Amino acid sequence: MPRWIPDEPGEEAALLQALGFSSTDELFTDVPKRARIGRMGVGPGREEPEVVAEVDRLLARNRTMSQFSSFLGGRVTSRYAPAAVDALVSRSEFYTAYTPYQAEASQGMLRTLFEFQSLWVEMTGLDVANASLYDGATAAGEALLFCRRRHEGKRFLVPASLPWEERSVLENYASGPGLKVDLIPYDDRTGRLDLDFVRSAVGQKDVFGLLADVPNGFGHIDEGVPELKSILGDVPLVVVADPLSLSVLEAPGNYGADVVVGEGQGFGIAPSFGGPLLGLFACRKEDVRSAPGRIVGASVDADGRRAYVLTLTTREQHIRRSRATSNICTNDSLMALAFVVYASVVGPRGLARLQSSLAEKARTLASGLGGIDGVKAPRFDAPYLSDFTVEVARGTAEEFLDRLRRRKVLGGHPLKDPRPGASTEPERILVGVSESSTEKDLQKYIRAAGAAIGAVGRSA
Amino acid sequence: MTFQQARWDEPPIWDLASTEPAEAPPVIAGVPERLRRKSAVRWPELAELQVVRHYTRLSQMNFGIDTATYPLGSCTMKYNPKVTELLARRPGATDVHPYQPEATVQGSLEILWRLERLLAKITGLSEVSLQPAAGAHGEYAAMLMVRAYFRDRGELAERTEVLLPDTAHGTNPASAAMAGFVTREIPDKEGSVDLAALRQTISNKTAAFMLTNPNTAGLFESDILEIAETVHNAGALLYYDGANLNAILGVTHPGRMGFDVAHLNLHKTFSTPHGGGGPGDGVLAAGDKLGPYLPVPRIVKEGRKFRLDYDRPKSIGKIKSAYGNFGLDLRAYAYILSYGEEGLKHVSRRAVLNSNYAASRLGKYLPRPFRPLVKHEFVLSGAPLKERGVRTLDLAKRLLDEGVHAPTVYFPAMVEESLMVELPETESKRDIDAYVAAFERAITDTPEHLHAAPRSLAVSRVDEVRAAREPRLSWKDLRAAGAKAETP
Repeated sequence: MPRWIPDEPGEEAALLQALGFSSTDELFTDVPKRARIGRMGVGPGREEPEVVAEVDRLLARNRTMSQFSSFLGGRVTSRYAPAAVDALVSRSEFYTAYTPYQAEASQGMLRTLFEFQSLWVEMTGLDVANASLYDGATAAGEALLFCRRRHEGKRFLVPASLPWEERSVLENYASGPGLKVDLIPYDDRTGRLDLDFVRSAVGQKDVFGLLADVPNGFGHIDEGVPELKSILGDVPLVVVADPLSLSVLEAPGNYGADVVVGEGQGFGIAPSFGGPLLGLFACRKEDVRSAPGRIVGASVDADGRRAYVLTLTTREQHIRRSRATSNICTNDSLMALAFVVYASVVGPRGLARLQSSLAEKARTLASGLGGIDGVKAPRFDAPYLSDFTVEVARGTAEEFLDRLRRRKVLGGHPLKDPRPGASTEPERILVGVSESSTEKDLQKYIRAAGAAIGAVGRSA
Repeated sequence: MTFQQARWDEPPIWDLASTEPAEAPPVIAGVPERLRRKSAVRWPELAELQVVRHYTRLSQMNFGIDTATYPLGSCTMKYNPKVTELLARRPGATDVHPYQPEATVQGSLEILWRLERLLAKITGLSEVSLQPAAGAHGEYAAMLMVRAYFRDRGELAERTEVLLPDTAHGTNPASAAMAGFVTREIPDKEGSVDLAALRQTISNKTAAFMLTNPNTAGLFESDILEIAETVHNAGALLYYDGANLNAILGVTHPGRMGFDVAHLNLHKTFSTPHGGGGPGDGVLAAGDKLGPYLPVPRIVKEGRKFRLDYDRPKSIGKIKSAYGNFGLDLRAYAYILSYGEEGLKHVSRRAVLNSNYAASRLGKYLPRPFRPLVKHEFVLSGAPLKERGVRTLDLAKRLLDEGVHAPTVYFPAMVEESLMVELPETESKRDIDAYVAAFERAITDTPEHLHAAPRSLAVSRVDEVRAAREPRLSWKDLRAAGAKAETP
């Protein structure tokens, strides 16, 4: 058994003696006999080296991305995290702390979160960011509920191209108050949202918000998004933004976004099979009392020095209970630290250079793949940055990806709702590049794709 | 008094280098003018050492469990074992993408599957999902499952209410409300659920009763079997808030107590670190009635292979991207593996022993409003301090000057000027004795000193009223306000 529970000679006996007890059984006389259990069946404990060996044995059954040429993209990226990020995240003054309720003892985390909020404000062009949410999908869910507090209506519009996971999360967040998530159709050639559909939906006066993602679920940039706000009027616009893209793309606050949410994982957080991630949320100052989650504010201490504290807490569950703006208690503070450290180590020019170089690689890959008979790449005639969509004309996306994997290429992921009976979608694949994608990897993918689609053709 | 926290005159990061708008970012081919950023994100250009030094200094102005005793009630601030940190950073854990093909992630799937099986045994509820990101997120998902269950039974139109005790965590009513239910509070009787009041209030309008056991007063709800019977006789479901599971491992479990669904906080009982406020890690465990409604995908074992199963027609769908906080699930798995059956039992026994010992000693300074036998935490009332013009808040701040963290304050609300203390199993008798000594020094100090506390931290008492009245929530706000630099 591990040495995590103190066991000084005579310690437990002394504690019991002070209480006048002879055994720890006497501590549980308030648990009725009929509610007692026998064994849980958890098995025996193990020493530290055995635990390490066992976990390593299981992890060895994984194949990591570094064992392949990996082109997995989407909201979770495989981008590199500078070593400085983990070094700071590993400082136990940060990672073993609780939510900073006692401000004076927790200035380090409060100041970090204030800097994180400030960074997301600068990136988005809005006024106020919260101290983080769980992930991009739940941040979108919170944005949906936020919009409903800001505007009457029953319908929330989202692109039909939104990744199915996010759509499902949004449908759940909508279901409690009896709201509906409606899909905006897109143009088959460009992937652009159908603005006439939006115009007509808004005209029916039952839309309380609209969400658009830039880049969208296909990895492409919809040039029509900046026109949305003029159609929406006072109906709130939520933009889902990729943080790295904001190093080169216009701040959504400058084209009318009322809320900007996003997935922050790509800034210094390892993919770790999908968690923990980081939810980003920003809104306008006049809407701050409708915002979900923790917010850090600057104030002064009793000596007039600048000091930081959790503020505007009357929005929150521990004060407002059933009337709170959200049930958020724990958020993702440590990941917010990773985010702000990442951005600070890479720097604003570095972020833009990185995005530019990824866009260059993506273009090389897309044009190489696009030259293959049976592969449409990029699938949409629209700009893109790190990710783009490929469509295969023969066989399924899964078959194509399987063949690539045999050639040591993780070629992306199918854009499909895997639930049985979900609408049948074309055989599309989201492909993404990262720093690790070398010229050799790009050419390897292109060669493997040619062979894979050819093989599908032969077996068909 | 010898404690003094670091007090760096560290400027905000934007004052460490020029932030004058830099050159326009490179133009990306194809991106239309309207969507191009005109100047780089306004943020300082720093060398790595400057960043490392800045956040290292900030970390030195922060309390963690590794710094000092941190007895926040309801938060279970136990030691976060270093070996679990080591394992969560293995490339086999971190360098794995959630969208890799199943055949390449068999290790991750097996770890999640094994953890689910262990948690099923620990909770006595057969079906487990690790998808929720935190405790409140698990509560919310469970309430959505309750909703789906009654919709399927055609009872949703009438079952519109969720009941909860007045001692409930604030997240309970907030989660139930987000899921579309009206919440009603059941009063307590000497800190426990008033069974008669529950029987009077429950009806065919009730969808669920949300309860944590032991409750937030640190008391085991000894009427739990009667409560479960009452709830089930009304056709409602019983929900377990697992925030306080640390008190009862191996003694009882939600399944045996009659709960239909539970959430657990792996960042409490199973020691994954709190991260300064997160990431947490939530778990959903359900019995037969609600099992089919758990989020997809579920992880199934077929022969020796593991697979993500999306074929669950009754499932509520997704509540988060991917499959949960894998990095934290891995830590919790290593934690359970280390302790095993006997170790986990010992965890709860020692946590409850520590708590009762500390309660009996601190009870000499402040009244304990409820019965003496407590579980993993206990409540004190700071009301008598008011005679000296002192409040619980002052005592909490003065405790910080002793180099220890304060208890949870002003919760639960039904106790006047409450303090809620939890000293988990990883605190030694010496640590508790030292905490009691610090408490004595603090509470016997003069009102002047108590009001002036803290004096030994990076800052003195922070003006919370001003923070809320004149909200300055970002660097942008500070620039607009023309606020002065950080230093005094």
